[in-house]
Amino acid sequence: MAEAVIKIRNVKKIYRMGNEKIPAINNLSLDISYGEICCLLGKSGSGKSTLLNLIAGLEKPTKGSIIFNKCHMERMNEDQLAKFRQQYVGFVFQSYNLLSTLTALENVTLPLIFRKVPTAERNKRAMKMLDAVGLSERANHKPSEMSGGQQQRVSIARAFINSPQVVFADEPTGNLDTKTTYEMMDLITDLAQKNKQTLVIVTHDLEISEYANRIIHLSDGKIEKIEHNQNRRQSKPNQEKGEQ
Amino acid sequence: MSVSDMIKMALRNLWKRKLRTFLTILGVIIGTASIVVMVSIGIGMNESFQKQVEQWGSLQVINVYAVGNNSYYYDDSESANINKNDKKATEITVNTIEEFKKIPHVEAATPVMNEYMYFIAGKYVADASIQGIDPASMEAMGYKAEQGRVLQEGDSKTVVFGADVVSNFYNPKLSWRMRYDSPSPEVDILNDKVMVTTDWNYGTKYADKTIKPIKVDVVGTISSGGNDGYNVFMPIKELEKIKIAQSEYEAKKYNNRNAEKIKKGVYQNAMVKVDNMDNVKEVQESIKNMGFRASSLTDELETMKETTKMLRMMLGAIGAISLIVAAIGITNTMVMAIYERTREIGVMKVIGASLSDIKKLFLTEAAFIGFAGGLAGILVSLGASKIVNIFAISTNSNMLSSIPLWLCGASLVFATFIGIAAGYLPAKRAMKLSALSAIKTE
Repeated sequence: MAEAVIKIRNVKKIYRMGNEKIPAINNLSLDISYGEICCLLGKSGSGKSTLLNLIAGLEKPTKGSIIFNKCHMERMNEDQLAKFRQQYVGFVFQSYNLLSTLTALENVTLPLIFRKVPTAERNKRAMKMLDAVGLSERANHKPSEMSGGQQQRVSIARAFINSPQVVFADEPTGNLDTKTTYEMMDLITDLAQKNKQTLVIVTHDLEISEYANRIIHLSDGKIEKIEHNQNRRQSKPNQEKGEQ
Repeated sequence: MSVSDMIKMALRNLWKRKLRTFLTILGVIIGTASIVVMVSIGIGMNESFQKQVEQWGSLQVINVYAVGNNSYYYDDSESANINKNDKKATEITVNTIEEFKKIPHVEAATPVMNEYMYFIAGKYVADASIQGIDPASMEAMGYKAEQGRVLQEGDSKTVVFGADVVSNFYNPKLSWRMRYDSPSPEVDILNDKVMVTTDWNYGTKYADKTIKPIKVDVVGTISSGGNDGYNVFMPIKELEKIKIAQSEYEAKKYNNRNAEKIKKGVYQNAMVKVDNMDNVKEVQESIKNMGFRASSLTDELETMKETTKMLRMMLGAIGAISLIVAAIGITNTMVMAIYERTREIGVMKVIGASLSDIKKLFLTEAAFIGFAGGLAGILVSLGASKIVNIFAISTNSNMLSSIPLWLCGASLVFATFIGIAAGYLPAKRAMKLSALSAIKTE
């Protein structure tokens, strides 16, 4: 197996609900390697979203360590995490989470704005990215003027614009119809493969998990089993797409 | 995040909530306008005092009095305080004047002699107080000629008339009653032959023929109104000569050995001109430390300003309260905005906005509300100040509103600062929002 970009070691995450302690992640260890497409599969309450939040540095583990490129994320402060996310991480959310005041193009450039990339350069890169997701004609539309699928494409373009090492997708197709779901999954996995980027997908949908090289089944905060998917689902040539 | 991106994004966020932004700005407009108008009325009050006091003479001039036992100028000014530890008799000589000139900020200094004499123009006479000064310093002292010129270096038997003296001429042959009833005679002071005499009875049957009137050249007049209008100015050396001649004559005539001896070159009074009103106090203090009494119209002005200080402070406080209310409005608006934009803040954090980016974004929005409100508030108060002035003029009131440029600048900076201060708490709160909980809000 290739070298791991993320090493999760004996991680525990315990939430307190009043006096009760609820373990969301229970002593979990996992390596995610460079360039793999990895799926965290589980029912609601299995801890898959919590794990994603921990890896992305949105939450801190109660115990254990998460090492991203040799950096211990549990030891970073908020500002370091912000820098870290700027450089290494892209996000695709279930509910798109585009800024409603900004146009599609501006939403895509947002990560570059925070990195202080000059306007001309970031617009050029964003147009390229929008082109890659097939939305260059809608560059100046606001999110409210676009369909769900189009919004998710913008959000995918935003996640990939910085060429991050890892892209996290949290139920990326949860709000989309079946046809758009496949289009979207094809798009994400193609983009990740093309640039040899690591992709971590969180889902409860078995069909979506088929896009991954490795499917990690989670239940009650533990790894139930790890499934290596040799024949991962790939984007089909155009004529077959309609049948999905 | 670069500054231009920050401003662009802040403006867009404000524009999205136009009505609320406008209402918040309106609060700042009212606050700024009320503070500016109130302060401007205070400033207008001070300015009208100043104009009033300036009519009495120049505010930059300090009157200096020698301290001495035989000085009858001693009581000239009640407000002239002398330092208690310094009661030595002093006198003013040419050397003293030179010393005054060496004090920093002093532009000119002249000895002063005040006498009361008679002027003769044709068959008319007028009594007037004569001020003897150094002719070379008259222009520097701030005197301005209405007609002709003021005294200048080299003048000797030359005088400048205050306009009010000119209208004081009367025919000495007439009885008091007739003088009162007849119209004041036309005297062309600049062209008529004018003489000065110390004889109180000139022109009447009691006239002392041994006192020879001295012919003088009138080279100019000073406008009427104020103190200067009632004075005649003459080179001090000339006035001194007349005075000495008079006292010698009177000593001989009345055989009075105790008559007041006029010492040549020794004076009781002086005037010192300071380059700027603001430095008058300082210079006045140094003169007092030299052992003289000193007073200036600035003292009067200070007293007037002091008495209205309370009123002006109250006016300012009323304005300040409305600005505080506006500041609370800004805070409220920004807190509301955070609730609304919790998710947006979370998203920005997740995709790489640093804590300071978030904080600065909210501060920029709040600052803009303050700035825009301040700007509009200044425009409103310029209009309001016009209306106040129209009203004040129509009711003949002295309280005019005046908005100097610095007040505009200061209130704009202040309003912006209020915006930032009011936005600080919400901005800090936005910054502390956890990225995760922000995204979770559905």
